[in-house]
Amino acid sequence: MATNDLGPGMVSAPTAPGPPRTRRAAYVLRRFRRHRLGVAGLTVLLLLVLVAVVAPRFWPYDYGEITPDLSQPPSPAHPMGTDTLGRDLLAQILRGLQQSLLIAFSVTVVACFIGVVLGVVAGYFGRYVDATVMRLVDLTLTLPTIAIAAFLGSVVSAGGVSWSALALVLGALMWTSVSRLVRGVVLSLRELPYIDAARVMGAGHLRIMFRHLVPNVADHIIVAATLMFGTAILAESGLSFLGFGVQPPDTSLGLLVADAQSAVLTRPWLFYFPGLLIILIVLSVNYAGEGLRDAFNPKSSPVNPLTTPSRAVRRARAAATASAARTRPAGSSGPQRPDTLVDIAGLTVDFAGQPAVHDLDLSIRRGEVVALVGESGSGKSMTALSLVGLVPPAALCTGSIRFDGDEMTDLSFERWRRYRGRRIAMILQDPSTSLNPALTIGAQFADSMRLAGLSGRSATDRAVELLDSVAIKDPRSVLTHYPHQLSGGMRQRMAIALAMIHDPDLIIADEPTTALDVTVQAQVMATLAIARERTGAAMLFITHDLALVAGIADRVAVMRAGVVVEEADVFSMFDAPQHEYTRKLLALAPHLGSDGRRP
Amino acid sequence: MGRLIVRRLASAVGVLVLSSMVIFLVISVSGDPLAELRDRQPPVPDSVIEAEEHRLGLDQPLVQRYITWITGLFQGDFGPSTTATRDIGAELTSRLGVTLRLVVVAIVLALVLAMLAGTVSALRQRRWPDVVLTPAAFVLLALPSFWLAVLLKQWGIGFNNLFGYQVFATVGASSVPPPDGVIAAVLDAMAHLMLPTIVLALVHFATWSRYQRTAVVESLASDHVRFAVLKGLSRRRIVRSYVVRPALIPIITIVALDLPVLFSGAIITETVFQWRGMGGFLLESITLRDTNAVLAWLLVAATAVVLFNLIADLLYAVADPRVRYGD
Repeated sequence: MATNDLGPGMVSAPTAPGPPRTRRAAYVLRRFRRHRLGVAGLTVLLLLVLVAVVAPRFWPYDYGEITPDLSQPPSPAHPMGTDTLGRDLLAQILRGLQQSLLIAFSVTVVACFIGVVLGVVAGYFGRYVDATVMRLVDLTLTLPTIAIAAFLGSVVSAGGVSWSALALVLGALMWTSVSRLVRGVVLSLRELPYIDAARVMGAGHLRIMFRHLVPNVADHIIVAATLMFGTAILAESGLSFLGFGVQPPDTSLGLLVADAQSAVLTRPWLFYFPGLLIILIVLSVNYAGEGLRDAFNPKSSPVNPLTTPSRAVRRARAAATASAARTRPAGSSGPQRPDTLVDIAGLTVDFAGQPAVHDLDLSIRRGEVVALVGESGSGKSMTALSLVGLVPPAALCTGSIRFDGDEMTDLSFERWRRYRGRRIAMILQDPSTSLNPALTIGAQFADSMRLAGLSGRSATDRAVELLDSVAIKDPRSVLTHYPHQLSGGMRQRMAIALAMIHDPDLIIADEPTTALDVTVQAQVMATLAIARERTGAAMLFITHDLALVAGIADRVAVMRAGVVVEEADVFSMFDAPQHEYTRKLLALAPHLGSDGRRP
Repeated sequence: MGRLIVRRLASAVGVLVLSSMVIFLVISVSGDPLAELRDRQPPVPDSVIEAEEHRLGLDQPLVQRYITWITGLFQGDFGPSTTATRDIGAELTSRLGVTLRLVVVAIVLALVLAMLAGTVSALRQRRWPDVVLTPAAFVLLALPSFWLAVLLKQWGIGFNNLFGYQVFATVGASSVPPPDGVIAAVLDAMAHLMLPTIVLALVHFATWSRYQRTAVVESLASDHVRFAVLKGLSRRRIVRSYVVRPALIPIITIVALDLPVLFSGAIITETVFQWRGMGGFLLESITLRDTNAVLAWLLVAATAVVLFNLIADLLYAVADPRVRYGD
């Protein structure tokens, strides 16, 4: 019921047993402490447990004790009032709290035990074992928990259900979410080398499962167990409410609410106190679970490319840019040449004090192909993203970016649309994810064509023409295909064709061949060259592979640790590299040393 | 597509057959429908008990009983009830309609609201509607549905008393006798439907809107949305075709998986509002130890779940071409 099987998509890296584990625990704890609602939830929960254990001993009234005060509203003697028989509500609620916590805890233990064992076994052995367990999950999921539990509850014992029987029944019905979760994670861990290593070293199945696999799923189990605790509280109280859970003369929170059904308007305390207590328990459990989840699986800060930077962000950026400009030597960017298309001056992209790009200057002339080369993490992609206004919100981006004379920082989403696609086109690294899986190629072309004022027949003709130019065979039928029906190379050529629609002034290609097979690379590079020639656009070509640069670029900028270390035209770069790092990079590109300079 | 439907259908039938066996086994092994008769004081003569055992088929071996039961099902016979006058099949059909009305309206309402709220919440993370919707969903998740049901019912009664006019109907699925005229009957049904539907829908609205929010947040961070932004598409177009459409797939699964929970919720809601629906049928049957009636109920619930899962699978194929063309 709670959001506890968002699934095996969030698999954390496996950790080895030993000291790193304790360090990880400390890290998780630190992260959890920063999650204020999670901490509050856990605190409330622990306090409630403490109260349930300690308070009944000191409270003068017993939950079944009948006092002469009938139907009293809350008063100093009875802080929560009394019911029609004169029983003290606080004493009853304390008893209910005990029952709920005890039963929910047992349910969680039972359900997690079944779920973990079946999940690990299914994931580890796979094949028919997995199929059997998954059928069992399907089966259990067809049974409404309350119905089965009510039936079993009614037959387990005639004189009311013991809490342990109730816990067993509910636990046996609630294990499915845990087992799915564990299975998913184990399936992904099973193939990892460290499991093979353990097997080679002679570890038995049991040992591998419970020493090597279960500890690595522990995160997920803890989160799922926490959230299940809340669900169990609701299930138990619901069952008791219907009369199939805890039976009088014993009491539980659900039973108290059931007894107070007709008293909402006349003796409201009887109804509100037990109900609000259930809400409080479940709410604190859920927040604690949420906090734990975030602590175990740190979420990256939310990305939303549809927003306009907020005023606070704009102000911070303006202030930082101004202060940076004061320290820069005056006139360092120099007078602009008339054919300059892109002029980046003093660009810094800063992630909480760690600059990804530092004080970068770069300009691109019309029709010029500039290659930005560097290892991963050198800041080259971040440079490209700042050119299209898509730097992640966690980063502070300062400096000036001019495109065709217009200042590009802090544009609103709508202002950006005048440039994106129309004047600046971008090709992303991985063509398998950059196309919309739910739309046909034709529909994705049509979306862009509409912006160019084309629709219907003329749009299709233009799309066919573009696909022809990127050497797609039978373009008309390709338009009816979905991206997943095409090969990686074809998808990337689609992306290139999409980029050509508006005859842009600048094409940014961010590692367009990295995700592709080497055999397809040449094809895609050729397509890119054609696209550039046809549109006459300038291009910023980003790569870590110097070998690709020689064939396409006019000028090369080498980037390292956020800084451009060397910038030169392509011939002097290859013939006489100035910077140590450039030489190293060249040495790594094997087939460039044809002139005998290979070290 | 055709092959996909056939395959899913076959697997659905398989699950259903298995589930009928499990249900039958669990119910027959754990409950003795004649326990009450046997315990009666003064003792009932053995001949009466034996006759009753024979009538209910309890003197047969378990496998034989299952076969009798399942063949009976195909002829629309749910087996004899412990109460000799009760016709399980006839009662079930009339009550099924009542419950379906509640469940279907609640699903549609909860789903539509959850998708709207989840999407808006995700698009405006940590800003105006999200800062209200997110904590609200957390509180709703913690609300026991029975408590909410009682609360709304009593508030409805209080409201009616205050204004001296019956705005909310708080008892039953329709007035007894139902008002004349189609329009009056529909209005009457709606007045009765309002509060129970709100209860059932709110609880699931909370869960589903959280899932939808997560799905849209993930979708927003995906490469194809970034690419759509880079193509210069309008915000509305991107949200509709590039953000929300791919995010539909997870929510379909969640709704299908949540169905048994929904039925459990319906039992509670019907009890509080005194509807003569499936929930009441189950609870009465349990109290009467009418095993065949409980079996019939569970089978109907299992069929509904399997059916909805099948629909979900097909919707999946509609929403995701990768499924449709069998990758």
